[in-house]
Amino acid sequence: MSLSDYLEKLPGTTFKRLYQQPSTAFAIFRRMLPHLAKTFVMAMLYMPTPFLISDLEIWVKPTSKRQKDQALATLRSLHIIQSAGPQSMTLTTNFRNSLRLALEGGGDHHSFGVPSTLPVPSDVDLAFLDRYARKKWDDILHYVVNSVEYSDMRDKDTSGGGPKASVKELLIAGRLVEKRSVATISITQAGFTFLLQEANSQVWTLLLLWLEAADAAGERAGMDSVDMLSFLFLLASLELGRGYSTDALPEPRRNMLPYLVDFGLIYIPPHDHQQYFPTRLATTLTSSESSLRSVSAGFLAASEGGISDAGDKNAIILETNFRVYAYTSSPLQIAVLALFCELKMRFRELVSGKLSRQSIRKAVDMGITSDQIISYLATHAHEQMHRLAAAQKKPLLPPVIVDQIRLWQLDTERMSVCPGFLFKDFESVREYEDMANFAGEIGVLKWRNDRKGMFFASKVEQIKDFMKNRRKAEQ
Amino acid sequence: MNRIDASDHYEVTATGQTPSLLTIILDTNPRAWQALGPTLSISAALANILVFVNAHLAFGNDNQVAILAAHSHRAVWLYPKPPSSDSNSSKNALSSFKKKAGVGGDGDVEMTGVNGNGNSHKNTAAPLGTSANKYPQFAAIESSILSSLQSLIAETDAADIPLHDPRRRRPHHGPVLHQQNRPLLRAREALLDRPQRQHHRQQQQQQRQRRRRRRRSSRRPTSPDPARPHPRPLRLRLGTRPVHRHHERRLRRLARPHPYRHPLPLPHASPTFLQQAAFITGGSYVSASLNPRGLLTYLMLGFLPDAEARAHLLQATQDRVDFRAACFCHRDVVDTGFVCSVCLSIFCEVPPGDAGCLTCGTKLALGNYGNKPAVVPRKKKKKKRVNGVSGREETGSATGTPRTLKAFTLEVELGGWQHVVLDRLRCRIRHRG
Repeated sequence: MSLSDYLEKLPGTTFKRLYQQPSTAFAIFRRMLPHLAKTFVMAMLYMPTPFLISDLEIWVKPTSKRQKDQALATLRSLHIIQSAGPQSMTLTTNFRNSLRLALEGGGDHHSFGVPSTLPVPSDVDLAFLDRYARKKWDDILHYVVNSVEYSDMRDKDTSGGGPKASVKELLIAGRLVEKRSVATISITQAGFTFLLQEANSQVWTLLLLWLEAADAAGERAGMDSVDMLSFLFLLASLELGRGYSTDALPEPRRNMLPYLVDFGLIYIPPHDHQQYFPTRLATTLTSSESSLRSVSAGFLAASEGGISDAGDKNAIILETNFRVYAYTSSPLQIAVLALFCELKMRFRELVSGKLSRQSIRKAVDMGITSDQIISYLATHAHEQMHRLAAAQKKPLLPPVIVDQIRLWQLDTERMSVCPGFLFKDFESVREYEDMANFAGEIGVLKWRNDRKGMFFASKVEQIKDFMKNRRKAEQ
Repeated sequence: MNRIDASDHYEVTATGQTPSLLTIILDTNPRAWQALGPTLSISAALANILVFVNAHLAFGNDNQVAILAAHSHRAVWLYPKPPSSDSNSSKNALSSFKKKAGVGGDGDVEMTGVNGNGNSHKNTAAPLGTSANKYPQFAAIESSILSSLQSLIAETDAADIPLHDPRRRRPHHGPVLHQQNRPLLRAREALLDRPQRQHHRQQQQQQRQRRRRRRRSSRRPTSPDPARPHPRPLRLRLGTRPVHRHHERRLRRLARPHPYRHPLPLPHASPTFLQQAAFITGGSYVSASLNPRGLLTYLMLGFLPDAEARAHLLQATQDRVDFRAACFCHRDVVDTGFVCSVCLSIFCEVPPGDAGCLTCGTKLALGNYGNKPAVVPRKKKKKKRVNGVSGREETGSATGTPRTLKAFTLEVELGGWQHVVLDRLRCRIRHRG
């Protein structure tokens, strides 16, 4: 489950509460919105009057209607805009005020963290925090990877360390791994999805599991998932390497700290519990997924050891002859690669292997989908692949390989499952066409059959609204 | 099995936002701001600009910003700090170009940071940076800009501010580049000195290739090189000083693939060359003279969208571009002028006596002076006949729209002054014979 899925399920009142904090409004703006939507929000932010839809239509090029509709759909689903009349819209009050506060500074909300006035311990510096976060996070990933039967590193499990029991429970509760017997655990399909994501999404997946667990526990645990989410966004806006005061935090948030320490998001010096240090895992929470891979961040990650590993990011070269080269020496990444790739050779900083029908089928049998493999290859593609793709205007991964991986999967599996809603029995052909076209425009249409007059969409809320408006307009 | 056919390809392209670099050149000439005083004070404008900068940074973690001040007698970096001062804020990976910012020793003002701001920065950064109500990055930028600007103002004394009326006609002094506008040029040079400069050629080459390819094959959207942040220079100018000097040098600089985008908060001087620059580079030029107080709205609506967003948005364009040129002798914007047929310098009047062309020294005959000035001839285009009716003839009138002016070519005969209507000179000048 991704963050956007989680947020979309929240009711409007929750958003109102979330947006009271400038840091939250700011984080959601940065992390959740497509680029065009950000532009719209900024244009409306200081506009004294509601923004007329007709003006928006003039502003956006006619060829980009689809992108515009999708941007507006996202904004609506996150309760950032509301209609202020039949043909105009505004930002919701809380969001507007909070975002303005975030940009201007000022106010007395303390939502960007209260820095600690205590001296920073001498051993805490950026490199230390990075090492610390990486160790914690790798422990968690190793725990998941080690449960793979094919992994050749099972003995690592006994070498001590590993994540805390609470994290293990969370992984099991989230069905990332399953307990087969008392001692052995095994990875599930969700676990594979988790492994193949990039670090930032992995952190969010785990945090959302935690939020859901807290929701399920309810008041008993004294945790409120909305407040927790708000605190996570706050963490994301903190400055790396600076100490923040734990005393300034309200009680429920202070209770969250031990968990966050277990995840490696923050560091609390053992002898000094009055300040906490956010790690890179926390401060990059609201970076958009792809911007983590951008030049400067990539360089930083490479030179400073980044979140997970210098070699763990952007290290895979995929050739059109199905060969895979990965510049890495991290056992973790090699283990992940071995899930869907026949590894042939291993050198000091390089492993090479080949994608083959057998290796992909083996992965598919374990429950990995071709989409996961492709997205893993794409997110970890070597800088050189990006450069080449940009220079030659070609797709990032060779289309031949991408197609072939999908075909190999289709050999075994001829259905893809997508939860959603079937629309049928329309009153007229026009109604059907309007609705189906609308669904296509906002990007939720999965399948349509004009002859039968049916279509299938993955989300229903906005179609409902559209239906209502349409009915109203007809009457 | 009908999903397996050759027609359905899945293309995996790199997604995500290209980081962009916003550069603001702020005219900090005290006289200009004094003239603006009642409508828009510098502090109000600065507050607006800071919000705008923050909004730009909020778009993505990798967005960067650089702010320069074009002062009355020199140009300084406001953000990021030059290496001489506190290097605390060099988180932006811009430190490499800061060194280069001081290049150029032709007796010109060196681009440096404001002196002595190391201390003041430390003092102000501490309280601002520790605020719990402000995003740390924003606080750092704000304190840096404010402290640099404060010390810049403190260092400026009356001697630095030119007293003469800039509109006064100056006597002939030949086409020597005038010192007064150096700060602006210096700022722009520094701007182009940033890390992209070394990639500039590469980029241009790529663009040329792209263009060629586009012509050859079907139009494909050109995606920016993801490895480089996108430069987006933004000139924020007050219109109290005419900037007509050595425009050709500036325009040459502009013949680069980046759009320049200029808002202009004051209507005092005609912003001829800013308009031209924006037009040539495909940037946008917005005049905020109608309502200077609404500066933030102008900025947010017109200048925040970066290259990625602009692919989907219509840009504010100018309905009229002033294409007149400035003469080389008085730096006045002239409608008609004399063009040296050897070096193509423009003069508002034929240099007195036997001086000849002031630029190249060639003695030129006045030729058929007194006739009507040459209306620049236009190349005849072959119109396709549509349904037997020829396309509408474009009028060659003086009020022709800017876009059609591209077709003009001025043919110059060697050995004489050419008396030319200059506002239609948006064209290549070609020697004949």
